[in-house]
Amino acid sequence: MKKTSSLKISISGIRGIVGDSLTPQLAGALAQSFATYIGVGPVMVGRDARPSGAMIKPAVISGLLACGCQPVDVGICPIPSFLLLTKESKAAGGIAVTASHNPKEWNGLKFISREGLYLTRHQMEEFLDIYHQGEFSFVEPERYKTLKTESRPTEPHLKKLLAHFNVSLIRRKKFKVAVDCGNGAGAILAPQLLDALGCVTVLINAVPDGSFAHQSEPLPENIRELCRAVVRNKADIGFVQDADADRLAIVNDKGEPLGEEMTLALATRYVLSKKRGSVVCNLSTTRAIDDIAAARKVPVFRTKIGEINVVEKVLSAEPETAIAGEGNGGVILPRIHPCRDSFTAICLTLESMASSGKTISALRKDIPRYVMIKDKIEGSAERASRLIGRLKKKYEGEGRVNLLDGLKVDYPDHWIHVRPSNTEPIIRVIAEAKTAETAKAAIRRLRKEIAELQKKI
Amino acid sequence: MKLLKIGISGVRGIVGDSITPKLVMDFAAAFGTYINSKPVLLGRDTRISGPMLQAACLASLLSTGCDVLDLDICPTPILQYAVKKLKAKGGISITAGHNNIQWNALAFINQDGTYLNPYQGAEVLDTYHLGRFKKASTDGLGEARRVEKCADEYFDGLRAFLDAEAIGKARLKVVIDACNGAGAYFLEGLARALGFELIPVNNEPNGFFPHDPEPRPRNAQQVVAIMKVVGADIGFLLNSDVSRVSGVTETGESLSEEFTFPLVANEYLKDHRGPVVANLSTSRMIEDVARDRGCPLVRTKVGQSFAVHALLQEEAVLAGEGSGGVAIADFQPAFDSFLTMGFILQTMAKRGQKISRLVAELPRYHIVKEKIYCPPTKVHSVVSEVKKFFRRHEIDTSDGIRVEDKTGWVQVRTSGTEPMIRIIAEDQNKAKARERADEVIRFIDVLIQ
Repeated sequence: MKKTSSLKISISGIRGIVGDSLTPQLAGALAQSFATYIGVGPVMVGRDARPSGAMIKPAVISGLLACGCQPVDVGICPIPSFLLLTKESKAAGGIAVTASHNPKEWNGLKFISREGLYLTRHQMEEFLDIYHQGEFSFVEPERYKTLKTESRPTEPHLKKLLAHFNVSLIRRKKFKVAVDCGNGAGAILAPQLLDALGCVTVLINAVPDGSFAHQSEPLPENIRELCRAVVRNKADIGFVQDADADRLAIVNDKGEPLGEEMTLALATRYVLSKKRGSVVCNLSTTRAIDDIAAARKVPVFRTKIGEINVVEKVLSAEPETAIAGEGNGGVILPRIHPCRDSFTAICLTLESMASSGKTISALRKDIPRYVMIKDKIEGSAERASRLIGRLKKKYEGEGRVNLLDGLKVDYPDHWIHVRPSNTEPIIRVIAEAKTAETAKAAIRRLRKEIAELQKKI
Repeated sequence: MKLLKIGISGVRGIVGDSITPKLVMDFAAAFGTYINSKPVLLGRDTRISGPMLQAACLASLLSTGCDVLDLDICPTPILQYAVKKLKAKGGISITAGHNNIQWNALAFINQDGTYLNPYQGAEVLDTYHLGRFKKASTDGLGEARRVEKCADEYFDGLRAFLDAEAIGKARLKVVIDACNGAGAYFLEGLARALGFELIPVNNEPNGFFPHDPEPRPRNAQQVVAIMKVVGADIGFLLNSDVSRVSGVTETGESLSEEFTFPLVANEYLKDHRGPVVANLSTSRMIEDVARDRGCPLVRTKVGQSFAVHALLQEEAVLAGEGSGGVAIADFQPAFDSFLTMGFILQTMAKRGQKISRLVAELPRYHIVKEKIYCPPTKVHSVVSEVKKFFRRHEIDTSDGIRVEDKTGWVQVRTSGTEPMIRIIAEDQNKAKARERADEVIRFIDVLIQ
């Protein structure tokens, strides 16, 4: 099998392995390209908690200074707070040094517009053109700006959350909350937010040193420590954030992980009970979202995988989007900011518990039950695209076929989704059904058909 | 054509033109590869471009697995002293010394606190050209740490080396122009350590140079004017990293930077006998002083690294150059203007004499320094052609072309920093010095056309 490239320069940003592809020279050149693209002005520079950020960040600052931008060093910062800060501080843009949930040896850069949004596909293409052409707008020293630092980068975010949610209602409940920040950037804001919401907080892995006490994906198998803490402390709920604090998974009051699909489903049910509007999520998100939206008679718009695709739809959706997100625990409340935000998800969940007077286990019972199975098959991207073409012919006529991103087929009682991964030479296979048997059978059939087709291709 | 000078002691160029983050990162990575995962000191002068180079060096050094002790704004001699004190494996000083604000440079310091010797320099350059840098994995990356208090230790050392008590008793009034360079804010420490009354000029470390940061008479007007008002005993001008200094007497005479080294040598050699090192462009004053004190003189190519390594190799007592840099081997093998100023003050104090009186003891020569701009692609061949002009003379080619006779000498060399040819001529007779330079300039003008 072809070796995985350790460098990914794509429309969602740049990721590489430190000590291999991600060098200071590369980070500096990308920062110069970004400065050349957006022109001179203040540029926020933040990072997640992984240790290599301390090496990459000065390289970014150097590139920005050389092109006459004013870097504002905000240090370690949760990504949703950083996006909002970039917007509210009227900066020309932002660069986040982060590799999200990738393992520790990875790091990367994400590029943010003055609106506090990731660069769109078109903007990224323009920006990457500059990088590839290698002509940068270096300025003379007389036009250099001085480096600034921002010591309270989460302030605008916290202020906005506390203004938007019903803080006094939540405070009255005096919830006991266990939260696992995974030694990620979330630790910068989570204790402060929960304190402001009047919660008694049990903190786990709350030192933002990037040591990643567990794998940084908030999957059930990674959060046993949190589950035990919920039981031991008789907590009302447990939360776990991913490394850059844009995604959230929930543990119920019995210490059982709800599964990351539930975060958006719970939030959607609560938000739609108070506000009418469309729902936006990607193709792989649970069908529970469609059921919840149907009950409120509001439309659901499905997008390609990738946060930027969801956000772009949110910005153009008609009727206006009430809530959006991804099944991986990414909740987007456009009124706070059009980005995935674990803190917004925390507030929504707690407010929903407070206003209903129900436990999190009881709220979970209100969400339709589905079983989702995620699987992967080895295969390169070029083979995957031919494979999907053939698969489509087989499945056509069986259910509702969607080719927006790979192949998705909707049946009355289940759905399947097959698509090549953006980050690894694998094909992702997902099935969701009312029962485990149906989901398993759908996966079995897919694997068999793909195996047969792979022999022919 | 871009202006970039790569040498064994570092790299120098115009910011935004040849000095880019990439170039700085590559050189710092080459140096970090050479240092091989040991602690490195990082400091800079006050140039506005300094933070860009500092961030680039920091990222690169960390990426090669070197821990970085970041001194931020720091005069090069203090950084050099701190390398040994902190037991670091080396250092990078970000400074273009006497060049104007457009320029910046990296100077590489080895574990002895001195410029890289030619072998070490060649190793770093080879690594740079090869482009194969050490890349530490996430767990092997270096860590950065801010270091304060280096200056305190340095001034303690200086105090112990000099006779601070004698200087203090003399109650000297001293005007010093830091040119808003790295010396700014460190002058108070010097004044406290040695006990003189300081009147600082251009003492804001903001990187805006009120004049070229080159210590020489044409930049001395402010110091002269202030000395007159306050009635100072002596005045000094510093370059941007405190490696060069020139003086102004109590009578208001702005001394040529050529006087600094002989002033120190004339006193120091009285009770420290040994070889003296000067470069080929330095005034004959030092020859006379060394001869009078019975010390041999060793001439080297121009550049601090050549002078300092000759100092170490020859086990010399002093090294210096006509541009105002002086190193005293017993203190540290580095051009150090804090030490130079301190030693001159000590001489005044101990002998109870005015600076003008000390200067009067030195032989007087007339030196003419000229420069001709020349395309970088032609500059070396033009200098080489000058040999034809001197075909009847004995030519010293160790640094450009140098010809001397009984009353004077002339040297033609390529600049180490800019695309130009320098012509330096000296003679006992002022008109003769001028003529020595002019005849060569006429010859070169024809060559270039």
